[in-house]
Amino acid sequence: MLLEQLSGNLIQGIILGAVYGMATMGLSLIFGVLKVVNVGHGAFIMVGAFVTLWLFNALGINPIIALPGAFVIGMGLGLIFYYTTMQRLIKAPELATLLATFSIGILLEELVKLIFGSEFRGYNWVVGKIDIGVTVLPLSKLYACIGSVIIALLLYLWFKKTRAGSAIRSVVEDSEGARVCGVNVGGAYALSFALGIGLTVSSGVLLTMFIPVGINPYMGGGYTLKAFVIAVLGGLSSPYGAFFGGLVFGLIENGSYTLFALIPGVEPFALTRFLSFVILLAILLIKPTGLLSTK
Amino acid sequence: MKKEITKYYPLIPVFAAYLLLFLIGRNISGMWQLVAMLLFYCALGQAFNIFLGMTGYVDFGYVAFMGIGTYGMALAITKLAHIEGLGIGIIIIGFILALLMSTLLSVAVGAVALRLRGAYFAIATIGVNEGFRFLIEGARIWNGSEGLIFTAQLNEILGREAASSLMTYWADIMVLIIAALAAFVTLYYMRSKIGYALTALREDEDAAKVMGINVTKYKIIAFITSACFAGLVGATSWALKTPYVFPPEVFEIHYTIEAIIIVLLGGAGTLLGPVAGGLIYGISKYYLAIFMPGFQLLIFAPIIIIIIVLFPEGVVGMLKYRLKDSALARFII
Amino acid sequence: MPLLKLENVTKRFGGLTAVNHVSLEIDHGEFIGIVGPNGSGKTTLFNVISGVYFPEEGSVIFDDLDITLLPPYKRAPLGIGRTFQIPRPFGSASVRENIAVGAMFGTLSGKVSVDESLQIADQTIERVRLQEHRDKPAGTLTPVEKKLMEIARALAMKPKLLLMDEAMAGMHPNDIDQMVAFIKQIAVEEKIAIVSMVEHIMRAVVGMAEKVIVLHQGSKIVDAPTKEALEDPKVVEVYLGHPPEE
Repeated sequence: MLLEQLSGNLIQGIILGAVYGMATMGLSLIFGVLKVVNVGHGAFIMVGAFVTLWLFNALGINPIIALPGAFVIGMGLGLIFYYTTMQRLIKAPELATLLATFSIGILLEELVKLIFGSEFRGYNWVVGKIDIGVTVLPLSKLYACIGSVIIALLLYLWFKKTRAGSAIRSVVEDSEGARVCGVNVGGAYALSFALGIGLTVSSGVLLTMFIPVGINPYMGGGYTLKAFVIAVLGGLSSPYGAFFGGLVFGLIENGSYTLFALIPGVEPFALTRFLSFVILLAILLIKPTGLLSTK
Repeated sequence: MKKEITKYYPLIPVFAAYLLLFLIGRNISGMWQLVAMLLFYCALGQAFNIFLGMTGYVDFGYVAFMGIGTYGMALAITKLAHIEGLGIGIIIIGFILALLMSTLLSVAVGAVALRLRGAYFAIATIGVNEGFRFLIEGARIWNGSEGLIFTAQLNEILGREAASSLMTYWADIMVLIIAALAAFVTLYYMRSKIGYALTALREDEDAAKVMGINVTKYKIIAFITSACFAGLVGATSWALKTPYVFPPEVFEIHYTIEAIIIVLLGGAGTLLGPVAGGLIYGISKYYLAIFMPGFQLLIFAPIIIIIIVLFPEGVVGMLKYRLKDSALARFII
Repeated sequence: MPLLKLENVTKRFGGLTAVNHVSLEIDHGEFIGIVGPNGSGKTTLFNVISGVYFPEEGSVIFDDLDITLLPPYKRAPLGIGRTFQIPRPFGSASVRENIAVGAMFGTLSGKVSVDESLQIADQTIERVRLQEHRDKPAGTLTPVEKKLMEIARALAMKPKLLLMDEAMAGMHPNDIDQMVAFIKQIAVEEKIAIVSMVEHIMRAVVGMAEKVIVLHQGSKIVDAPTKEALEDPKVVEVYLGHPPEE
């Protein structure tokens, strides 16, 4: 019985993990290229969630179609914040970029609160479910997982096959060297930031496909913490590392929930969140470059 | 000897500001509530500045130390109230417990997180307050998510009247004393080797090491000092003013944000900065809450961004620059 | 008894060997030039000596003490001072405070008070003639002034060994001559051993040095008195296309 429950939860964990991974790629991309930690990461996920919610409830547009819309909105937000703020802070001390991205996150939360209010919302997209024996999977979750894998693959191909992609890769390796070789480093920064935010906002769509309730302006905080754990698992500066970090994290989260639930007198949900914090500290201490990276 | 005294001149404007606040609160009716809030923000800023301002490290989990200090006082009151004859001694034990617990937590967090540099440190701390909150809730420590309520015990210890004057007046005076003490410690550090070491490591940690500075030691000194003051602020402003504690409230990241705004607004690493920042932030928040309730953060978020981009040195930083050749220069650092 | 002795020091980064089995000895008060093109392992060697990196193999002996695994902040008070290729001042602190930091933390007793350090700083500032800039934030100095400030900061540590990383890079030739003469004078007066690291065989630096060590791809290829070293065929080979200046 327990084994069945555990394996069911682990399958759900892998599916959620793929979405988590995708939701962290933007964070890692931005850190890899600009060396900026986007502390407002979760707020961009929240924006994606609200885009989905609004399109679905107001216009009846299904979340899969909302995905490219969210991406475009994210790119736009990324460009705005890059050119108004981040560009001026590239050479500033870390304190400045950390606080700037943090404030951008708050600004987004408050703007969304101003427009939509702060109550918890949700939407109901009925697409059926499939029974795979140990667990029943709603198709919406499966779509979210497939969507995440496709986006991760597209990003991979884009980096490998396009000029802009290889320019960004060269900046990640060595920004001075790239500059000498004629890469427009400023442009690569702007594009990476926009792309990173675009990916993050899109991941908000996928996350609501997985969990279509609890959407509110402050939902991002928890995701920021999770994204940090995942990014650190994957080495912080590699989007693919982040994707695999997400898979691992999804497994840990769902697996530990099942096990904590067996301990009498505790609140398993709170303990899984405590555990993710402990994992974060442990990895940072043992191997700050990430458990999954080879460096 | 005279030189020793001139070293402490910069405390004059800080203490003058606190005295002025006290006098306004005492003599203008209806102002005490605002004064109490301003004192809280000044104390918060002054405490956080010792770490954030002097080391340049961002601790997103700072509120955890206020939270643990609140628990220290709360535990002393709830566990000891039944013992006859301790009276006000319980409050003193509460302060000691608050100091002890915030020191312990800061040593634990610092021993792990302070091995990390820059962005990695910030990432490690972003979960500290949440992590601690979920540990208390998840493992049902100290009554878990139900929290502790100790109004009755406080009345029992001090009597109803004294308890009420503690909550509405004396607790605020204690916050004032904590703020002044934090300012004194800040200046003491600035004038000693600790201050030189912190400036050096804030500017260039690797160069500081090669110059013979044990950077970890000095970071930990600043971290623990700052955490202890946070614990005291929590024990007073939260536990004594409002005799209850709920995990989601005292580990709310919102207070870390406020502390960051205050320190930056005033000028990170300056002595007078937290006072200036605390006053500007507190007064604007107070009036914004009256005229535009619920939108404070919407207004403050872009303000922080503007400060970071255009005025990274803050109000006092700019003032210092303007006055650098005048007679006032030695009063403002 | 040499002041500094490296025995078979090897430092690797991943698969790359930056410093490969290097042994060398430096005596008290000696002026040594370490020469090697970019990527030859010079800076890594400095970092191993000052403790920024620990070597994988070999040992570092300073003043009869094995310091191979000693953290950098414990090495400075023993008497190892250094300057950086790109100056690294504590930007917001004044020139005086920067130099005082050297005296405060970098001296052997470790008990120099703040006031004493500031006095030492004032004296050192005069030696490098930066009096006019005493109270300016160090970040606002010109590159040459920053180099001077770094030298002063290192001198305030009363070092026995001063490691200078490209101290003259980017300077006007006339300034270089003056600077080298100045350093040499201080070294003689205070009996400081100086290791000056340069990318090219620079007449001014090498001319002053008693001994030249040439690094190539992480290995020491020449270690000889200056005159011999410059005539060594291996040096000519490494610097083919960059023959030693007259």
